Amino acid sequence: MTMELGNFSPEERAAQEERLRKVWETPKGIRYWTSVNNSEIGLWYGVTAFAFMLFAGLLGLLMRLQLAVPENDFISAELFNQAFTLHGTVMMFLFAVPIFEAVAIFLLPSMLGARELPFPRLSAFGFWSFLIGGVFVCGSIFFNAAPNAGWFMYPPLATDDEYAGIGADIWLLGLSFIEVASIAAAVEIIVGIMKCRAPGMRINLMPMFAWYLLIVAGMILFAFPPLIAGDILFEMERMFDWPFFDATRGGDPLLWQHLFWIFGHPEVYIIFLPAIALMAMIVPTFSQRPIVGYSWIVLAAVGTGFLSFGLWVHHMFTTGLPQISLAFFSAASEAVAIPTGVQIFVFIATMLAGRVIFSVPMLFGAGGLIIFVIGGLTGVMVALVPFDWQAHDTYFIVAHLHYVLIGGMLFPVVAGIYYYFPFVTGKKLSDAWGRTAFWLMFVGFNVTFFPMHFSGLRGMPRRVFTYPEDIGWDWFNLISSIGAFVFAAGVATFVIDIFRPKQQPAWRDLNPWNSGTLEWTNDPAESWGMRSVPIITSRYPLWDQPNLQADIEAGRFYLPDAKSGKRETLVTSVLDAKPIQCLRVGGVSYVTIIAAIALGGVFIALTFKLWITTIVFAIITFIAIIHWLWNGTAPIPEVPEIDVGLGETLPIYVSGPASVGWWAMFITMVGDGTAFASLIFGYFFYWTIHDDFTTIANGPGVLWPVAALVLYVIAWVLTLLARELNEKGPRGARLALTAALAVSIAASFAGLAGPYLHEMDPTSHVYPAIVWIVAIWTVTHGIVGAIMQGYCLARSITGRMTAEYDQDIRNVALYWHFMAFTAVVTFAVLGLFPLVST
Amino acid sequence: MKSFIPREVETLWTLFTAPTVWALHFLVCYATVAVFCAKGLASEVSFDTVRIALGVVTVLALAMIVLSAWLAWRQWGFGAADPPHDEATRNARTLFQGFATLLLSGLSFVAVLYMAIPMIFIAECQS
Amino acid sequence: MDDDRLTGAGRPIRSGRDGISDSYRPAIRATTFILLLSPPLASCSGVQSALDPAGHEARDVANLFFVMLIGGVAIWAGVVGLLFHAARKRKPYSEKGAGWVILWGGAVFPTATLAALLSYAVWLMPNIRPWFGEDAGVGRVEVTGEQFWWRVRYLDEGGAVAFETANEVRVPIGEPVVFLLNSPDVIHSFWIPVLGGKMDMIPGRENRLTLQAEKPGTYRGVCAEFCGTSHALMAFTVHAMEPEAYKAWVAARRKASGGQDQEGLALFLRHGCAACHAISGTEAKGTIGPDLTAFGERGSVGAGALPNGQEHIARFIRDPGQVKPEARMPHFSMLEEAEIDRIAAYLKGLR
Repeated sequence: MTMELGNFSPEERAAQEERLRKVWETPKGIRYWTSVNNSEIGLWYGVTAFAFMLFAGLLGLLMRLQLAVPENDFISAELFNQAFTLHGTVMMFLFAVPIFEAVAIFLLPSMLGARELPFPRLSAFGFWSFLIGGVFVCGSIFFNAAPNAGWFMYPPLATDDEYAGIGADIWLLGLSFIEVASIAAAVEIIVGIMKCRAPGMRINLMPMFAWYLLIVAGMILFAFPPLIAGDILFEMERMFDWPFFDATRGGDPLLWQHLFWIFGHPEVYIIFLPAIALMAMIVPTFSQRPIVGYSWIVLAAVGTGFLSFGLWVHHMFTTGLPQISLAFFSAASEAVAIPTGVQIFVFIATMLAGRVIFSVPMLFGAGGLIIFVIGGLTGVMVALVPFDWQAHDTYFIVAHLHYVLIGGMLFPVVAGIYYYFPFVTGKKLSDAWGRTAFWLMFVGFNVTFFPMHFSGLRGMPRRVFTYPEDIGWDWFNLISSIGAFVFAAGVATFVIDIFRPKQQPAWRDLNPWNSGTLEWTNDPAESWGMRSVPIITSRYPLWDQPNLQADIEAGRFYLPDAKSGKRETLVTSVLDAKPIQCLRVGGVSYVTIIAAIALGGVFIALTFKLWITTIVFAIITFIAIIHWLWNGTAPIPEVPEIDVGLGETLPIYVSGPASVGWWAMFITMVGDGTAFASLIFGYFFYWTIHDDFTTIANGPGVLWPVAALVLYVIAWVLTLLARELNEKGPRGARLALTAALAVSIAASFAGLAGPYLHEMDPTSHVYPAIVWIVAIWTVTHGIVGAIMQGYCLARSITGRMTAEYDQDIRNVALYWHFMAFTAVVTFAVLGLFPLVST
Repeated sequence: MKSFIPREVETLWTLFTAPTVWALHFLVCYATVAVFCAKGLASEVSFDTVRIALGVVTVLALAMIVLSAWLAWRQWGFGAADPPHDEATRNARTLFQGFATLLLSGLSFVAVLYMAIPMIFIAECQS
Repeated sequence: MDDDRLTGAGRPIRSGRDGISDSYRPAIRATTFILLLSPPLASCSGVQSALDPAGHEARDVANLFFVMLIGGVAIWAGVVGLLFHAARKRKPYSEKGAGWVILWGGAVFPTATLAALLSYAVWLMPNIRPWFGEDAGVGRVEVTGEQFWWRVRYLDEGGAVAFETANEVRVPIGEPVVFLLNSPDVIHSFWIPVLGGKMDMIPGRENRLTLQAEKPGTYRGVCAEFCGTSHALMAFTVHAMEPEAYKAWVAARRKASGGQDQEGLALFLRHGCAACHAISGTEAKGTIGPDLTAFGERGSVGAGALPNGQEHIARFIRDPGQVKPEARMPHFSMLEEAEIDRIAAYLKGLR
């Protein structure tokens, strides 16, 4: 791109900075918490996740104390079982996944050259949901009410009220809430990476971190929804006795295991890949050269992303499935080792081709790699079915998973914190403290977990609160317990290093490690992110583009000013990053906190079966969200186009596939569709285990399901018609929307009429239960679709949606594509499949 | 062939072709044996018939991956240019896409071959 | 050390060699420490050790493990060595050369190695767990996992229950035995590490596991799937016996009696023990709890909770929940000590 860069006098620059500062200002006092800026949300997210990690670590120490000697009675069996359940749950759901969301939200905008991610309020909403859900889940242990059936919550143990009590509900509802937050973050990250990169940052120039995060966010969309579907089935069994996992009434505990691990295995890679992404930023910096094998990293990230969905049954090798099925999953589990190996060799190759500086981040990175390779090799072993028959559910697996997660995730994350600390605060962490922390953690870790390989192979099963003397486990356990405290001392050293007071560095140095990527141009003292949005022509612009930092700070690139008084960032095209829109993003707001608290209230009240409170909170949530959408999304701008600098003007409002809102809807619905597919999988899973599945009890008949199918299709067609008519004028669109709304409501009644009129009793057998749940799922979506139609109608009537500014109806039409598909599948399966299957 | 698929594919989606073929192949293999074994169909269809059918599916999947690899090879300029493809040009971006797609085709090919191994050695539904 | 100086932009950068030296010496020390520590601890023997096989499957899997262990150590050493070399070398490699490392080390070598390993393991599966139909003439034992003990039923040729016992499994050596596994309450997992891998016991399903013992001896099995509060206290004894000894035991077990101690039996019956427990050859025919026939020969009290001895039996009767949290058996602390001791002595005397 050859264009004249902007040139401003010092007075003009000062005025620009004044305006930018005012627009992006973080509120003071109590209103600080209403901030939605990515740097605040990212920081809160990270600190909260880290605090949860320390809490779960303490639970780990508690367990190690109990197991230090045989036949110990330091803590009770009940407390031990709660401790290991919470340890796993918190580490996985409240630390490993959220810390990645934190890092992504914090770093991505600066790395991509954006002022902000496209939906800052969604990030804020996600954070508050996470905080409320996390505190709720963790707090339960202080009331002796923590979940105690293992982080995998296998029924029938976890559906046993007498054993699992309220803990299982806390787990299910608390985590469902957090899963919602994760999906929100995934939407934010995908749209951010696809659409908000700096001009010129083509996909072959994207930072590695962005590639990884793009894949990870995509994986979340396919991995979390099956668990949400599983949670729904589980909670229906616990609350209303619908027998999804009760074998005496046709259910099957194995369905939960399938749904849990379809989530659970990709989850491991969702945790691992972002940490490796941090390594992919650190290694080139300290090798002082670009990464070798950029395309190989893309191969590794995408390949791992796909293959990780073909592994789930390797957690179920001992459930008695046919050997041939097990072997398929074994094959995929071995295949996934290939892209993982590629990633490691990319780092080694980069180091080989560069001059390596062994700083603290590199130390943690290399240490993590050395640990992770052991975990990877034991992973190859346990992926072999015959070996897993022995190793499954023993301390060998405990060793394996900690080698993978601590080597592949915790060490790289700590490396990332040392690396990015100056980016966050402008100050470096101490080298001496860092090295001490590293050696304590590295040695402590190995002393803790290496002996577990032996205790496991010598027969010690997992999740035991005690063990007998003299069967060969005593010394291993004692050594593990000692190591755990050394490891904890290392973590404590690291935490102290973070919080101890540090001196302001002698000179302002934005790029202390001499890194090459764009984020290091940001000034931590300012909250506007990029001073001006640069044009990128390299993977490592700070190394290759001369004078870049000075030009950015002089406001010589895009968006150097904020004359409109609104928060603005650039939207660019997916492949070549050509500027196409000046996007206005949401600012400071209470609505996100209110919506999160109200939604949290819904989940918490449900746990305690407080139905009225649940309904009240649900109504507040609904109002808050409508208020948020009505005032915050798709406002008609005061001018159609705006000067973005460098002599270019860009539209402020776009709709359809060019808009970020359309993409957000598309991505959300992909996730939603996956949850739906999981329910349909459940239906057919039950069909395979019963010879007479659809004749075991009353079916929904043919008439009403077919009626619902036809009505939903009509509602869909009417919605599309409304979208087309809207381009010509509001009258036709309003008419079509009104008709669509009426048909949608009728369709929803028809959808439930089948099971209702045929008196299908969902507590009697799993067949009526699954029919009801699939019908309810679809009808709920139909009602949401009707609300959307009503919303568009209201927007049209109030003049907030016009022929030109039609984002609302276009996004709603997109929703209805998915809705029509869901309805057709649902009612064809419920109404017509029984005809075929008998 | 050239007229069938345009030379310039301006989308990111082609990157995912080969892994998607792997995923579909995986799904077909898993679902087939799961239903076959759970429903006890061995009295109607022999396990060997299932193995042969899945073998045909495997060959088809491999053929599709090879096709994807060939298209990627073409997009990569038939290997004329070496990586890293980090220039700020549309051409470099296309070459990068081609090379990455080619690598993914290779991985998917291997992953599908791995899936064939169980079909060689396991001949019954036993657990 | 002023470390800001080491790495700052535009300031002198210390060479890689110097930068690493002080950090990798401790690495060697740590590795040496771990290696020195391991061998004395890493012996494989044990009544519950998968690496001390006494059965067909366990032996094949242990061999597989040792091969993988050697290969794994070699690969790990290679990768770590390459990592240190990359950090310490004086002259950077060319980009092309580094690219070859990715291709051969990261892609080609793993692909070939994993293909070989996978093929062997998949080939091994039907070999160590072959299919035995209903009428293959193989001995069958039905084991039911219950919170937190094992109901063990030996089936005769026709598939009917020949006799029942609990928390103890006896198998003849040199012959495959099919275990039919299920559960009435929650998921358990049946695992005898010295004989072979584990298999889950899932409500509503019947799983099969074929094991073949090769070496006579007394071993230990456990529940491997978390099944509730006292999951840790759910073990059983395994006796692998010479075929003749096994036959003799089966014959004896089929006509087991309630022993000679009529007074102990009377107390046992009077206090309602028979509501849940059965003893062959007596009126005690309860089926809720473990069968207590020949209890004196059992390896433990309370499915591995305590060693088998009169005082431990008494302790268990007095308050099972104190020994084994959430055990289903009610406490009998309201009985007189003498009566409890008498019942315990009676049970210990059962052969």
